[in-house]
Amino acid sequence: MGGMLDDTLTWGNAFVFLLWGVVLLVLVLGFVTYAIYFERKIIGWMQLRIGPNRVGPLGLLQTVADILKLLIKEDTIPRKADRVLFMLAPALAYVPAFGVLAVIPYTQDLYFADINVGLLYYVALSGITTIAIVLGGWASNNKYALLGGMRSAAQMISYEVPLVISVVGVIMMSGTMNLRGIAEQQGDWFWQWNFLPQIIGFVVFVIAAVSELNRTPFDLPEAESELVAGYHVEYSGFRFAFFMLTEYVYMYAIAALTTVLFLGGWHAPLAFLDFVPGIVWFLLKFALVVFFLIWLRGTMPRIRVDQLMGLGWKVLLPLAILNVFVTAVYLELFVK
Amino acid sequence: MIRTEELLLNVGPQHPSTHGVFRIIVKLDGEVITEATPVMGYLHRGTEKLAEELTYTQIIPYTDRMDYVSAMTNNYVLCHAVETMMGLAVPERAEFLRLIVMELQRVASHLVWWGTYLLDIGAMSPFLYAFRDRETIVNLFNELSGARLTYNYMRVGGVKWDATDAWLDKVRDFLPYMEKKLVEYDHLVSGNEIFLARIRGVGRYDAETAIDYGLSGANLRCTGVDWDLRRTKPYSLYERFEFDVPVGRTGDCHDRYLIRLEEIRQSLRILRQALEQFPSGGETMGKVPRVIRPPAGEVYVAIESPRGEIGCHIVSKGKQEPYRLKFRRPSFVNLQILPKLLVGETMTNLITILGGIDIVVGEVDC
Amino acid sequence: MKGLLKGLGVTFKAMTKPKVTIAYPDEPLVMPDRFRGIQHFIPELCIVCNQCARVCPTDCITLTGKPNPDPEKKGKVIDTFDINFEICILCDLCTEVCPTEAIVMTNNFELAAYSRDDLFKDRQWLRDNNKNVRQDNNNIGAPQPGKGGAK
Repeated sequence: MGGMLDDTLTWGNAFVFLLWGVVLLVLVLGFVTYAIYFERKIIGWMQLRIGPNRVGPLGLLQTVADILKLLIKEDTIPRKADRVLFMLAPALAYVPAFGVLAVIPYTQDLYFADINVGLLYYVALSGITTIAIVLGGWASNNKYALLGGMRSAAQMISYEVPLVISVVGVIMMSGTMNLRGIAEQQGDWFWQWNFLPQIIGFVVFVIAAVSELNRTPFDLPEAESELVAGYHVEYSGFRFAFFMLTEYVYMYAIAALTTVLFLGGWHAPLAFLDFVPGIVWFLLKFALVVFFLIWLRGTMPRIRVDQLMGLGWKVLLPLAILNVFVTAVYLELFVK
Repeated sequence: MIRTEELLLNVGPQHPSTHGVFRIIVKLDGEVITEATPVMGYLHRGTEKLAEELTYTQIIPYTDRMDYVSAMTNNYVLCHAVETMMGLAVPERAEFLRLIVMELQRVASHLVWWGTYLLDIGAMSPFLYAFRDRETIVNLFNELSGARLTYNYMRVGGVKWDATDAWLDKVRDFLPYMEKKLVEYDHLVSGNEIFLARIRGVGRYDAETAIDYGLSGANLRCTGVDWDLRRTKPYSLYERFEFDVPVGRTGDCHDRYLIRLEEIRQSLRILRQALEQFPSGGETMGKVPRVIRPPAGEVYVAIESPRGEIGCHIVSKGKQEPYRLKFRRPSFVNLQILPKLLVGETMTNLITILGGIDIVVGEVDC
Repeated sequence: MKGLLKGLGVTFKAMTKPKVTIAYPDEPLVMPDRFRGIQHFIPELCIVCNQCARVCPTDCITLTGKPNPDPEKKGKVIDTFDINFEICILCDLCTEVCPTEAIVMTNNFELAAYSRDDLFKDRQWLRDNNKNVRQDNNNIGAPQPGKGGAK
């Protein structure tokens, strides 16, 4: 489909794009539904519980029921809220989350858009969600929401910097910002994947990514024990569902991005395992990252705001820059 | 110059981390608290006033509902006060049973604290781990006294139920189990760098301040003051047992955390000795007159509850009902230091400090 | 880092450990014998001594008696006996003082109702509540044959 993007836009092409968009949306919604289900199941097991098991066989329809409940809930907007911004914020949060998925390649041939600056596109678009969260917090006219929104603004801005710089090393090694190209560069054996040569970058990336996702241990914007629910404290029904959806779509995006950038994309971990289709390997690695995120949530307490800032600016950023230098020196001395 | 103003934030009474219906009004400058005013009384039921209309036996179920996380010690302080007034002797077996349930209760109470504190700090799993193990104790109590939370187990002059040998065996089995679980707790939480960063150096005060505010329990011992009523003013049979009183050095939330965990270990140690020395037979109820009518006068007794010094002051006019009854509730007294501690802290530390004090709102408001 | 990893290890291992969840409403909870549930009342045994009403800390028991219909016998028999479960705290004191064990505890504890009126239980309801009656009532008030004093 990538080739069609270069053609002139005709009605027929536009229809195909739209169709693929809908297919992706359905896929992503399916992922979100079952990501929530697995998150609850796995955290349940980790906490010696069973997890959802009442709605549908094995509780598989639990999330569907929850979403249905959110959909039929009364839509409340606080009287003193800024109506327009309040309604705009969830949509503004979700659109970029969905938008970033366009550049993620799943296998050699299965991808949506093959953009040369795919990585930049991702970073640029995901920054918009921060604005939506601040907007939501501000427009709610609620003090807890405002605090949550402010925290998230501070957090997401300070962690975007190490996130971006941590992948510079990868970019330097592969010489491209095209995600498909980066994935393809990584070799057939797992020690040739980026996560080992770029171990510092990988660690910084994972920490910064968890923070970007607002997940435990960096879930300060919605720290329920301090700020009740943070920026979405006044949201209910479908608008709340949109914020949740955004969060999980980003989880999808980050998991896919980690797979592509560091875990060798669709490559098999050992060269002789080649016969298994690439998509299977991609999904396996992807699932591993998602599981890791859930696992973290099941274990970690929450970090404090000042420590979060300190970690971001004083530890992760220097480390990321150091990584860039080390990579540059290595490339200069040994590769060139 | 942008005009800035302070944010007046109302934390509670419906807030996930105020441990019940407790409310603090905080003035925030950014995320830094400049002033904090606790508002209490949302759970006030007038226990002390109600008690003036009730006979001593009838007050016992009310004490269950004060500190509902540690009902056994509340039971004990009232019975102990009345027994002291009337000069009643409690049979040894009954006293042993009381001690065993009180120490089990201390373990259960600290487990609740441990779980909820970690929940405040943002970790979900420890809460369920703690409640799994507390459930064992609660089931033991259920088997012994017939209730899971409000036991109404002790009576003036003894205890209501005798323990069966099977029950004692279950307690015996519980001790190694719990010790194993404590290791798991340490692995899960105590070494966690994020957790340590959250609690180290937070909510510090020195021994002098702690004594000035009348703090007791782990809140006092964290400053290095070796004051445990089980040791300093022994009651019940505590003199017969060997145990350590853990004290801290720095007086921060981390010390309080360690002290409470260590107290669980020490309680298990006491329990082990108590079960060894447990008398094989004997009465569980002493010789008590049919109508409990303490002589006119006053008495104040204090014991060490999991939260600190719980005291009971009875003024009797020689009637069946107390003329005036006053409980010194450790949660209430310990809470008084909160406004002082909160100034200059962030919103996040508010939760850490409040959780570290370990209040039970039922006891604060009484 | 070591602490974080240890913690992750604990939660990972917990995934396969036995679960603590119980299927409560599907499977009834079995309470130990001493459990204090809703009282069972046996009108035939009641001698209308009023002790339960007097000892009740929350005054939730109201009862009235009437003269014994059998002119041969002295004393009263119970006429009405109501427990208001809005305020009953199931403290066990009424069963403790009852000299004839006319009021005993059961292991039933499900009292939830849609109306407060449903919580006002009368003599007949309490009489019919005769499942899972507690065996050992450890009745301090009543003289107990075969048991050494007040145990």
